[in-house]
Amino acid sequence: MSTSTDPTEKIATTGTTPSVSLRGLTKVFGGTTVVDDLSLDLTSGEFFSLLGPSGCGKTTTLRMIAGFSDPTAGTILVDGEDVTSTPPHKRDVNTVFQSYALFEHLDVRGNVGFGLRRKGLDKRTIDQRVSEMLELVELGDRGKERPSRLSGGQRQRVALARALINQPKVLLLDEPLAALDLKLRHQMQAELKQIQREVGITFLFVTHDQDEALSMSDRVAIMNQGVIEQCGTPEDVYEHPTSVFAAGFIGTSNLMTGTWSDGCVCVTPTLRIPAPGHQGSAEGDTLSITVRPEKVWLGDLTPQMFRLPGTIVETSYHGATTQYVVSIGPDLTVTVLEQNLPRMRAEDRWNPGDQVEMGWLPEHTVVLR
Amino acid sequence: MARGKLERKPLIPVVVTVIFFAWLYLPILAVALFSFNDKKSLSSFSGFSLRWYDALIHDSALIDSLAASLRIATIATLGSLVLGTMLALGLERVRSRRGRVIGAVTLLPLVTPEIVTGVAALLLFTGIGLKLSTTTVILAEITFSIAYVTVIVRGRLAGIALEVEEAARDLGCTPFQAVRLVILPTLLPALIGAGLLVFALVFDDFVLAFFTTGVDPQPLPVRVYSSIRFGVSPAINAIGTLMLLASGLLIVAALVIPRVLARGSSSLDLITGGDVR
Repeated sequence: MSTSTDPTEKIATTGTTPSVSLRGLTKVFGGTTVVDDLSLDLTSGEFFSLLGPSGCGKTTTLRMIAGFSDPTAGTILVDGEDVTSTPPHKRDVNTVFQSYALFEHLDVRGNVGFGLRRKGLDKRTIDQRVSEMLELVELGDRGKERPSRLSGGQRQRVALARALINQPKVLLLDEPLAALDLKLRHQMQAELKQIQREVGITFLFVTHDQDEALSMSDRVAIMNQGVIEQCGTPEDVYEHPTSVFAAGFIGTSNLMTGTWSDGCVCVTPTLRIPAPGHQGSAEGDTLSITVRPEKVWLGDLTPQMFRLPGTIVETSYHGATTQYVVSIGPDLTVTVLEQNLPRMRAEDRWNPGDQVEMGWLPEHTVVLR
Repeated sequence: MARGKLERKPLIPVVVTVIFFAWLYLPILAVALFSFNDKKSLSSFSGFSLRWYDALIHDSALIDSLAASLRIATIATLGSLVLGTMLALGLERVRSRRGRVIGAVTLLPLVTPEIVTGVAALLLFTGIGLKLSTTTVILAEITFSIAYVTVIVRGRLAGIALEVEEAARDLGCTPFQAVRLVILPTLLPALIGAGLLVFALVFDDFVLAFFTTGVDPQPLPVRVYSSIRFGVSPAINAIGTLMLLASGLLIVAALVIPRVLARGSSSLDLITGGDVR
């Protein structure tokens, strides 16, 4: 498992021109730096997610790539070509907007074929490609409908088809699933991923939803305050967060702070958590560490595990899992997630006040910047 | 007890409503009725005839006035549609405080007493030495009507996400093409509505026309007013009835056409709920 966070590494190994290269991209709005010296390469054909809280600069980054917003500094290359000062209509880039932005005066076919008509293709070619694209998004029978008569999910597919039909070098998606309800969103996530594999176009997907980013992407970049905190495969960023922000933003994390001493992080004088393999810290440095809730065991501990005693403070039942909050010292708790496995019954669960011995494998202790 | 009170017919409100509508529409109905009278009398209806309509179509001065009014209304409608839409598109982009001030100033003609606008227009035209004619009426009416167009078009623009224009540019439109191929077609129902409303307002506008018109041909409302001073001919009733009919049709069209064109965006969304299947 690679723990690399260098976004250029993958490019170096595949050796192809990146679909999009951002070099030192900066955007300042009225004195506020929204995007700060951002550099990024998207490999051709990958599904890349920009994940971050609202206001982190992810949408601004997307809008600069689309050409709707001029960068204050930096360069944007699309397929190796500098498009930094190219107007939107001349960029080989298409966008799926959050509001879908369908043209209400045109029917579905008119919407999907819009880009090709602008390119001046002949009517037969356009008709054929529109039909193919509607088949791909499973709207073959709705071609004559006005967008206003479609459901949210269908409108979303029209928006996708309208952008994809132009076969852009990169497709930009600005939180396209945010307006859908949960069940439909899950369904569209799967479909979007499948369509992306089918057409092989690079997708740059902007979202604040970590589940969406983890389940769909080849790579994820976690963005905060205009900079990329961490970039890697979904597994990388989840299992090996490198910053406090990244660890906190994706999933639940048990953040603890202590001083580095003799291969351990001393959270309290009595609580020394080993962090094998960590390098680059001097004795006495202050460090943050985290361990994911599902990595912590409450019983059935193996000999390799780091162990510590605790007291159950709170239990909450979530169907597939049960979440425990375990006190391990004054003002110090650890959240633990246990699968409700087939063999478990209600009386097997812990109750508040129970004394437990908990533990985790030392390699699951993650040291953060 | 309370229920019994509620179930009883509320007599007084019904009577008041009937009196109100009678007061409002009986004089107009009288005009329409006497336009079909076979005598010149405006007090006794002696028989049905179309003689005043016949007299009307042979009164060349009245017909000239009608033509002038139609011409004024048509040109003023087109002119204010073009300028008002451009203003609305521009104001939509200015999101600063200055933009809001300009937006508010745009609405001033709606609340300024028309007589003030009329006097102001007259002073301006005579001041710069422009000879009063149908052209000056058209100029004054355009100035007055821009506000209506801007208000209606801005209302519709507010419902179109800024992203729609960006989507057009994303799909290969220059900024100008985005307006021409996407924004204007989307605005079409609002443009038709605004156009019909302005046409109806300008066609029978008296005050502005009275102040800014030249001698010949006078706009129809001004002509009607001046002929009344020399004794009322039932031909005036005939033309009044026709104007009433035309204005009524235009206003109904202004209400109905945009709804028919925009069908589905509102009423059908209610049925489908904007939800999946």
